[in-house]
Amino acid sequence: MNSYYLINLLIYAAVDAMACLGLSQQFGIAGVTNFGFIIFQAAGGYAAAVLAMPSDSANGHFQSYIGGWHLPFPLPWLGAAVVGGALALPFTFLVGRRLRGDFAAVGLLVTAVLVNLLVTNYVPLLNGDAGISLIPEPLQGVLNAATSGYQWAFTAVAVILCAGVYLLVRRLTESPYGRTLRAMRDNDTVADSLGKDLRSLRTGVLVTGGAIAGLSGGILVSYITTWSPAAWGYAETVVLFAAVIIGGAGNHRGAVLGAVLVPVGFEEVTRFIPSSNNLPPNLIPSLEWVAIGLLIVIFLWFRPQGILPERKRAIALPAVAADVQSGADDPQELTQPTLARRSGAGSAGPDASPVVLRADGLTREFGGVRAVSDVSLTVRRGTLTGLIGPNGAGKSTLLAMLAGTLPPTSGTISCLGQDVTALPAFRRARVGLVRTFQLASEFKRLTVLENLLSAVPGNRGDSLAGAIRGRRYWGSDELAAIATAEALLRRFGLLEVAGQYAGDLSGGQRRLVEIMRALMTEPTVLLLDEPMAGVHPNLARRIGRELVALCRDGMTVLMVEHELAIMDEFCDPVIVMAEGTVLAEGTMAELRARTEVVEAYLVG
Amino acid sequence: MSKFTAALAATALAIALTACGSTKSGTSASNPGGSSPASGSALTVADVAPFSGPDAALGPTYLASCYGATSAINAAGGVLGHKLACKSVDTRGDPADAVPAVNQMFATTPSLALVIGCTSDEAASVVPIINAHKMTSFCMTGESEFDHVHYPYFYRLVPPDLEESYAMVVIAKELHYKRIALAFGNDIGSQTFVQPAIAALKKAGITLTTSQTLDLKATTFRTEAEAIIGSKPDAIMTEALGSADPTLFSEIKQLSGKVIPIIGTSAAISPAFFKSAAAAVGAGAFASTFHADNLVTETSGPAYQAFSRALLSQQGKVPGVTGNFTTYLSAPGGVHLYDGINLAALAMLMAKSTSPATYGPDILKIGDGVPGAQVCYSFTQCASELKAGKSIRYEGPGGPTIFDSYHDSTGIFQIDTYSSSGQVNVTGNISPAQLRVLAG
Amino acid sequence: MSLFLASLGFGLVTASVLAIAAVGFTLQFGVTDVLNLAYGAVMIAGAFIAYVINNAGLSVWVGLPVAVAVCSGGSVALNSLVYTPFQRRGASPITMVIVSLGVTLIIEFGVQAVAGGTSVSYHLAQGPTLQAGGLILTAVQLGVIALSLVVMAGVHGLLRYTKLGKAMRATAANRMLARTCGIRTGRVITLTWALTGALCGLAGVVFGIDSGSFDATSTDVFLVLILAAVFLGGPGQAYGAMLGAAVIGIATEVSAAFIPADYKYVIAFVILLVMLGIRPAGLLGARA
Repeated sequence: MNSYYLINLLIYAAVDAMACLGLSQQFGIAGVTNFGFIIFQAAGGYAAAVLAMPSDSANGHFQSYIGGWHLPFPLPWLGAAVVGGALALPFTFLVGRRLRGDFAAVGLLVTAVLVNLLVTNYVPLLNGDAGISLIPEPLQGVLNAATSGYQWAFTAVAVILCAGVYLLVRRLTESPYGRTLRAMRDNDTVADSLGKDLRSLRTGVLVTGGAIAGLSGGILVSYITTWSPAAWGYAETVVLFAAVIIGGAGNHRGAVLGAVLVPVGFEEVTRFIPSSNNLPPNLIPSLEWVAIGLLIVIFLWFRPQGILPERKRAIALPAVAADVQSGADDPQELTQPTLARRSGAGSAGPDASPVVLRADGLTREFGGVRAVSDVSLTVRRGTLTGLIGPNGAGKSTLLAMLAGTLPPTSGTISCLGQDVTALPAFRRARVGLVRTFQLASEFKRLTVLENLLSAVPGNRGDSLAGAIRGRRYWGSDELAAIATAEALLRRFGLLEVAGQYAGDLSGGQRRLVEIMRALMTEPTVLLLDEPMAGVHPNLARRIGRELVALCRDGMTVLMVEHELAIMDEFCDPVIVMAEGTVLAEGTMAELRARTEVVEAYLVG
Repeated sequence: MSKFTAALAATALAIALTACGSTKSGTSASNPGGSSPASGSALTVADVAPFSGPDAALGPTYLASCYGATSAINAAGGVLGHKLACKSVDTRGDPADAVPAVNQMFATTPSLALVIGCTSDEAASVVPIINAHKMTSFCMTGESEFDHVHYPYFYRLVPPDLEESYAMVVIAKELHYKRIALAFGNDIGSQTFVQPAIAALKKAGITLTTSQTLDLKATTFRTEAEAIIGSKPDAIMTEALGSADPTLFSEIKQLSGKVIPIIGTSAAISPAFFKSAAAAVGAGAFASTFHADNLVTETSGPAYQAFSRALLSQQGKVPGVTGNFTTYLSAPGGVHLYDGINLAALAMLMAKSTSPATYGPDILKIGDGVPGAQVCYSFTQCASELKAGKSIRYEGPGGPTIFDSYHDSTGIFQIDTYSSSGQVNVTGNISPAQLRVLAG
Repeated sequence: MSLFLASLGFGLVTASVLAIAAVGFTLQFGVTDVLNLAYGAVMIAGAFIAYVINNAGLSVWVGLPVAVAVCSGGSVALNSLVYTPFQRRGASPITMVIVSLGVTLIIEFGVQAVAGGTSVSYHLAQGPTLQAGGLILTAVQLGVIALSLVVMAGVHGLLRYTKLGKAMRATAANRMLARTCGIRTGRVITLTWALTGALCGLAGVVFGIDSGSFDATSTDVFLVLILAAVFLGGPGQAYGAMLGAAVIGIATEVSAAFIPADYKYVIAFVILLVMLGIRPAGLLGARA
């Protein structure tokens, strides 16, 4: 019985699964929508071809292409992966900047079409539309490629490589690095504010995905022995995306399933529709595309998580005593060595400056309107400073500038004596200047525990290289982080919900998660943007008390709030803003005595 | 290791063991044609070509030809007691899609006896597979890689694109054009004409005024037309499939007020092309300024009459092919694949076997003819001559074949023009010697 | 020089078609915050509707209002049945892009399934060719340019002087605020889609008139030109789209006079990528 068709399907399945795994890593895990994905597979295909081909004089001049070094297997496949990865680097300009997701996606889509156009029309590069053919198969000189034994061996190699890619991708994802990628996916602004270098993360993901795509292209090319622009158009990109969406973005088994169902299953099924009827020959392929479009829309509506959704990560907490305390007011519990302040903050020597944060002449304009006008302030170490003012006073804008999420139009900011005005938000977080956000900003599809763990700085597994080295390398850092997180959870009474998705909690609980998460970064200066908004007064008070305790241990907090009772009880000093400028500063009692402050803002 | 990974690894291991289990030398692709099919069962001729995508017109053209040839063969008693049936295999015009299409064909067609079609869109990826399965194929690709590669089961009755370029330049020489502009499409079929044409023009001492590449995805070519007009050529050599050429002609006429003479390729010899070109610039104006090279095809005589009868009898009987069948009488794919099927069928008769390995050499004998062979013009005629014990040479509507060692038969070129009613007229021949003068 | 002037004339025609299309696209984005990538598919559907009518014996100009009406209604349906429900669910912009790609496949290949894969063209006499100052244009092409100018004037009048136009601008600037000001944003959005859908249908027919021939996939490349024009001017800015269309239309045609013609669209692609990389708000958009 002829098994060549089965071999064909298995190889295509392996190649497509590999490509889908790479795409799922980018799209499902890291939230990078790379509509140019097919170019990486194409580049890998061409690289493998060019490396394996003899020089063109040997091929009778009918093809013109660069290279032709006639390298033996497996160098062409290695080259394919390397080229696929390297090609990702120029693309980072489209994803590194703070470009809206859909704009970046469109840019990548257009780039894919552009590259196809250029390769088709510039014939001397890769032989234009005709492409490259007579590509030597691996070990062609030594083995007979026409035998079924060879074909089965090829299939085995392809499947093994696919399995290897699966293991690699899984290792990357189930590491602190993978958690950071998912955090970036869920809310990149927040990840940025917690110290994650978005640009570098996205570049890393593009390069890994690109290398995987390149390898898949190399394998495919070695099998079909020819490669031309018709094989890697915009259509192929859409099919891969449909496969990942249907199979389950963010789930690696889902990616493999999607590859088997869509590019292989769906396309092959239509071949079996009998052609002995009077339908116009173009009808079935056209309807196939209509069906793929419908599937995309239907799945995104009814089951956006795909057939195999992303699994919830259950992280084992260290075994603890059964008594779970909630709200035991013992500030001492928090001052554990694992929450040690950064050097230069906690252990304040006599000559350590009392001023940890200073702003000079900060101004921010939005199209002619001055949201913040020439604001100067200092925040002293160990204080729980309040920032109040009516709506539109510029408080959130000021906070954003201090944190680095918004660049000032003019003015300077320094933290611990270091000028941070030019530092982007993630670098400020690494220096110890961390903010929270006014609107809900938990990482919805990470569990509560993962939310906390994602903020820990200095975990060795939180980098691509670290993740590749595996659990043996970063395991101890992770355990330490888990211990710290567990203590915090216990402190704030959220230990029971540690394993739930942060997005499923109540408003007050989510607020606590954000605060705890910010604390996990071991900040020197914590900028809180209305942390008590919408929170039950008891809980608000509890948060206030915790903050006071932390300040006593050397942390500094600047808190924007509306709730004057909180200011009364916990904050000293309090800064009042109105219409973009600082009106006054002092304790609440002092402020209440000043008529201009009362008129501007205070009631009673 | 997770269960899933274990499953994947187990699969890979199983596959690897299967690979090692089969010996390296022996187990090649099973040969469907080799095991003699049950007597009385039908043999399948597969049309492997695009039925969808930009070249979707090709598949149906070849299918019509297949039906024509096989109906005549079946009427004459079939081959060794078997009737022939046609099957379409859609490659979608893309080499990566063509591979599983062909593999699926082999897996699901135990009675496969012959493959026809394989255009430039997919030949590079499917011919090795078809050849590995030891199946005869008659292909319609002019790609130069097939000029010198040994695929023992591969046959080609159309000339390499290289030679068509030379033929076009010969026409330019004959018509005494001194300045030529080139306008070729950017797809596989047309891109390969450009470099040989440029080289040949240089050798012929004709000035190249401009070389425009037409992006087939574009819908207008005004700037290209203006550039061509501005370069003041005596004539334009062009091939840009689909609606690109007629669009270009009409825009040239709009911009310059006149119709610049055209030299086209064999792809322009089709009633669909004439119709759209005539609509673009006017039938009379177009016909009086148009020449094209074409492989010599008969338009009269016994071969043509048999062909015409066979093909036209299938009007309305071929699924999904609803055009006017007279248009296929002069289409290159129509003529040459009809001949290919006849050659293969006659070879099977001669070798008394349906196994390509056995009857292969007889294709060459019947095509080139041995000394003293009787020339015959249709399957019916040739079959009866064979039965009478004579040695035959088949000469179909595509003219006499001369196979070289790579199973390519380039045939002789002719110069075609249209009358204003769309009828194709032959106004001259081009000898191989004239082509050789221009070769690099 | 004459080639340059001639291509400048062709550029004006391309710019005219592009302007009608780009203004519709950018207004859809401005008011709904969705990059409706299915715009090209709706255009070609309009072109085919006019073709069917034209093929039945009537003039293209009769088919035009029919195409416009169908595309207008279709676009309203597209927004209310597909985009709005997804947005109400809080779908991210990326999800919306993927949804619009899915819709593109459905419409474009739906048209191909019905109309077939071969290219078609309108039966339309181009009229006399007029030459002036180096430009060479047919009467129909001049008509297209004139039509485009009329449409631009109409859009300008609508946005600046009518209540609906002001409501559209307000909704585009800040939907929440517009609603609190008493603007019935739901109705504004529906009317915007009806209007821009009409522009889309008109652009499709004019595209068909301007092309020597077209098939169901012809607007794939044209959509990139629309995006280039929109992002050059600034997404959501109607005047930006007009400016962008003029620049892109002329630049692509003129570039064909200097570089090999098969690369003429490359310049549009490059402009789009540069704008996305450097200034996504466009030339007329506010700096973020």
